Amino acid sequence: MLRSGGRKLLKRLDLRESWVIFFVLGNVMLNFPFLKIFNQPTTLFGFPIMYLYFTIGWAISIGVIYLFASSSEPEAPDQQTDEEESL
Amino acid sequence: MTLNIFHVALIAIGYTLLLFLVAWYARRRFEQGRSLVNNPLVYSLSIAVYCTTWTFYGSVGKAATSGIDFLMIYLGPSLVAFSWFYILRRIIRISKENNVSSIADLISLRYGNSQLLGSLVTLIAVLGIMPYIALQIKAVVTSFAIVSGVSDHAIKLGAPESSITLPTGFALALILSIFGVIFGARRRPTTERHEGLIAAVAFESVVKLFSLLVVGIFVTWYLFDGFGDILNRFQSQYPQLFERLFTLKAVQGNEAIRSGALCVQEFCLLVNHSNPVLQNDVIPSSTMLLMSMGAILLLPRQFHVMVVENADLNHVSKAMWLFPLYMFLINLFIMPIALAGILQTGSTTGADYFVLSIPLRAGNESIALLAFLGGLSAAAGMVMVESVAISTMLLNNMFMPILVKFIPKQWFPLVLINLKRIAIFLVVFLGYFYYRAVGDSFMLVNMGLISFLASMQFLPAMLGGLYWPRGNKSGAIIGMALGFIIWCYTLLLPSFYGTTTNHHIIEHGLFGISLLKPTALFGLTGMDMWSHSMFWSMLFNIGAYIACSLLIKQGEMEKEQVRRFIGKYETERSQLKSTAKRLSKPVTIPQFIALMGKFIGPDEARRSMSVYLKGRKLDEENMVPEFELPAMKRYVERTLAGSVGAAAAGAIMDSYLSDMGSRMESVYDIFSTVRASLDQSREALYVRLKASEIINRTLNLQTIMDELLQLLLKEFRLDSALIQISLNSDAKLAVQSYQGSDRRPITPEHWYQESDPYIRMALADQRTHFVNDISNIQEVVAMPKTSAEGFVSFAHIPIFREGEKSLGVLSVYSKSIRGLFTEEFVNLLTSLTGQLAQAARLVEEMQAKEQERKEKEKAQFDNAMVKRDMEIAEQIQLSLLPATPPVLSGVELAGRCYPATYVGGDYYDLFKQDDHTIDLLIADVSGHSVGAALIMAEVRTLLRAHAGRTISPSSILATLNSQLYEDLTRAELFITMFYARYSSATGRLSYANAGHNMPLLYRIGAERCTRLDAEGLILGIKPSVIFEERSINLQQGDTLFLYTDGITEAANHEGELLGIEKVCRHLFLNGTLSVDDIAESFHELVKEYMQSSTPQDDISMVVMKIVA
Repeated sequence: MLRSGGRKLLKRLDLRESWVIFFVLGNVMLNFPFLKIFNQPTTLFGFPIMYLYFTIGWAISIGVIYLFASSSEPEAPDQQTDEEESL
Repeated sequence: MTLNIFHVALIAIGYTLLLFLVAWYARRRFEQGRSLVNNPLVYSLSIAVYCTTWTFYGSVGKAATSGIDFLMIYLGPSLVAFSWFYILRRIIRISKENNVSSIADLISLRYGNSQLLGSLVTLIAVLGIMPYIALQIKAVVTSFAIVSGVSDHAIKLGAPESSITLPTGFALALILSIFGVIFGARRRPTTERHEGLIAAVAFESVVKLFSLLVVGIFVTWYLFDGFGDILNRFQSQYPQLFERLFTLKAVQGNEAIRSGALCVQEFCLLVNHSNPVLQNDVIPSSTMLLMSMGAILLLPRQFHVMVVENADLNHVSKAMWLFPLYMFLINLFIMPIALAGILQTGSTTGADYFVLSIPLRAGNESIALLAFLGGLSAAAGMVMVESVAISTMLLNNMFMPILVKFIPKQWFPLVLINLKRIAIFLVVFLGYFYYRAVGDSFMLVNMGLISFLASMQFLPAMLGGLYWPRGNKSGAIIGMALGFIIWCYTLLLPSFYGTTTNHHIIEHGLFGISLLKPTALFGLTGMDMWSHSMFWSMLFNIGAYIACSLLIKQGEMEKEQVRRFIGKYETERSQLKSTAKRLSKPVTIPQFIALMGKFIGPDEARRSMSVYLKGRKLDEENMVPEFELPAMKRYVERTLAGSVGAAAAGAIMDSYLSDMGSRMESVYDIFSTVRASLDQSREALYVRLKASEIINRTLNLQTIMDELLQLLLKEFRLDSALIQISLNSDAKLAVQSYQGSDRRPITPEHWYQESDPYIRMALADQRTHFVNDISNIQEVVAMPKTSAEGFVSFAHIPIFREGEKSLGVLSVYSKSIRGLFTEEFVNLLTSLTGQLAQAARLVEEMQAKEQERKEKEKAQFDNAMVKRDMEIAEQIQLSLLPATPPVLSGVELAGRCYPATYVGGDYYDLFKQDDHTIDLLIADVSGHSVGAALIMAEVRTLLRAHAGRTISPSSILATLNSQLYEDLTRAELFITMFYARYSSATGRLSYANAGHNMPLLYRIGAERCTRLDAEGLILGIKPSVIFEERSINLQQGDTLFLYTDGITEAANHEGELLGIEKVCRHLFLNGTLSVDDIAESFHELVKEYMQSSTPQDDISMVVMKIVA
């Protein structure tokens, strides 16, 4: 139930554009001045905040790619590519 | 502590054997058709060749010295994975379509198969990768030294006092080269996919991940008490360093490690130098991020595993998260290991090899060995793939352009494979020499970044090529060349700084101009070497690319490639017609096979061609249809491209064609303007429109044909056009319309007669037969007269309607244009002949209808004529009957005749012989045709001749029979007749009967009427007949009734005949009436009985009443 709801949500996000948005978002988050927020020697539970930011952010981004890539797989929009013979 | 050198060597050799086993097994599975490599997991693991010793050793070093920014090298590719869905998939699709074998191939292909560009990309790749391979060699050599304790970077062979030493680096380079050859250039395949190599690389990726994880776990949980423990201890021991390592210093990099306490090898070297400009600042994270983002796709080996070795496009979507996951895992323990290393050793010296040195310090041999194997895996995988990828580029883009100048020979495949092997050695040893030159003065990561920046030079041309239609060859070449030169000057050159003695250029700039200082070009200071070089090289690269692309026009070849690469990629591609070019001289299939055979071997060539032909329902024996040729040529070129690269394949094909005396030439563009619709140009539509106008305007086929031909001559540059049609199915073809030049009388000597074989073929197979260049015609169908007239191309198009026989042929000839008949033009002509056939059929149908109408009219007219004639005949026939009965005393007479049609065969007559004697007769000629009427007239004439002669009725009948016999036989008719003679003087009636209905006699007082019977045969049966003659005496009041069978055989609706009984009865009832009334009453009787006023048969009767 929850799964299919998530799937629907992913579909509504219009997959093709989402990739661009994520790419741009990732670029922003990995550059100054955004990085400046975490660029301080404080620690959280003993872990440096910057280290946590990178590690957790990275894991989340992989999760996001996984979700979107697997939800787009069944009806990948451009799979009609084995047409070369007709050329 | 160290391990035994032979122990280490043995394990390394065992591991190598395992690798070969993996590769061999993958190859076997592939040959069995159950590919091991064809799955997304292996694909992702092969992409992980990105993680080299740089990751395995260097990352720890980087993490220990400059801190967390080492992650940028992995975050960049992870981020780029988001864009794979677009960029990588598109690149793979294009590459697969064109059999692209390297990044140089792809870039040169996009910019019109430019060999120069291909060579430039190769040059950059070869030089750019040098530091990267050096990095691997350095890492392995150093790690080997650490593990085995062998110093001096050389292994002494034999006895300790022996002078023969083998430098480890050299040995390693040699081994790695051999690896490359075995995995990547064992034999020459047609495509650049290497199942064994990929399997080995994927296996190595597993090994390096596994060993790094094991080392990480060992360090974190065995030596320390978890990551938290390491962090706590580190923070308390080195609070300053802790702060520095876990923050980025991109903005204020200058305040970096000035203290010198933690200075690592090369930092010290540069910092200690008197020239402050050479201060090596920390590389900003953004520079590393950007470089790694470019590197993941642009490094030749990454391109090779991701694009060239990709087995299935759908693997990309899985690799998009699997590969980042791999990098995430492999980096998980980098930081703990780095911190633990500093904690254990107390400095960052040798931080690059903490992975190895920590287990060794802890005395754990097996983990140290595992780490060594992981590092070896990382190095070997990278060098193998890199050398294979670059050797392919070298072969295709450097060697091939020279090789194709020679005429291909049978031994070519052998030369090619050996050249490729040599190239692999070249690539690895270039790295080795670089390592020898600068190896010790740089950290691993910083060496790798030099290579990253070199590969970044491909970025503008690559992205522009994929997404910017105007990006052109000159822009790509100039931009890339400028970027490369700046890279060499500002990064490669200074990298030798520590190793050369001539520091003049580096310290004072070229020619002593300080503005040209390599590390502070144009006075730009305050940046690290890498960022500085990236800024300038990318500025010039992108700037020149954009400027030249805007200023300089694209070539023809380029434009075509742009359409393939960009544009509405998905929709437009399938509609790209292959007819834009044609071969001026056709090439046969065996010739193509022979050409391919020289590069990929004859067997492979034949197999490859048969695959192509199978998909196209063509036969090796047959001539290739002309429209097929360009497509086939492209296929051959593509197959060659898989082996020698796109640019070289193009060059090979060109030189081959020119040797043949053939070439690709532009098709004469008959439809020059913009296409109005997808498949029809505006001209074609216009001509179609005009043609249907002509056809609909008139029904005169001649006019239609003439005007149609004139239209063709006017619109297209044709010189003669003629139509031959056989108008009815059996007739021979005849020229029905002839337009254009040279209108001489059409004789058997006319030049067009030479085309007869083509015309007959077109008629028979209902396909267009055309010759685009008359000089290519084989001897079989020589056309001397036609070519003497100056015609160069012609076509014969059958005129037929779908599913019907051909009506004829349209022939068009051109004197000026070879290659006039493109697929599009032929289609247009075919559709015109289709319309013409339709029109011809229509005209034919109209003519048939007209004919039918005329015939009908004539028939009606004839009918009217006949009717009039018949009316006349009727009048005449009626006039032949007695107008009024003769008058004889004591006798009343009445005669009636009602013919069923205009004329009939019934006849009665009354002759008065003398004042007392009267002859009466009634006859019926069989049928009621005109023939019967004529015979009746003849009978009358003959009888009239007898009138006045006193021969008996029987004799009259006998005479009549003999006179009429022949005529009747000839006309197949016969006559029944009753002949009687009454003498009022005697009251006697003598009579004879020739088969006629027996007359009835009514006598007053008699109970019924009497039939007058006499023997006698029908007239016309026998030549001579004797008739019985009888006689009877009549009394006053007797009524004699002579009739024909029209009365007795009148039928009512039920088909019942009136019958003799009813006639008798009627006479009995009406016998007392006057003769005329009796006759009328019988007529009424018949009409009533039949309930119709038109009789079925002629009705005739004679009534005679004795009154005195």
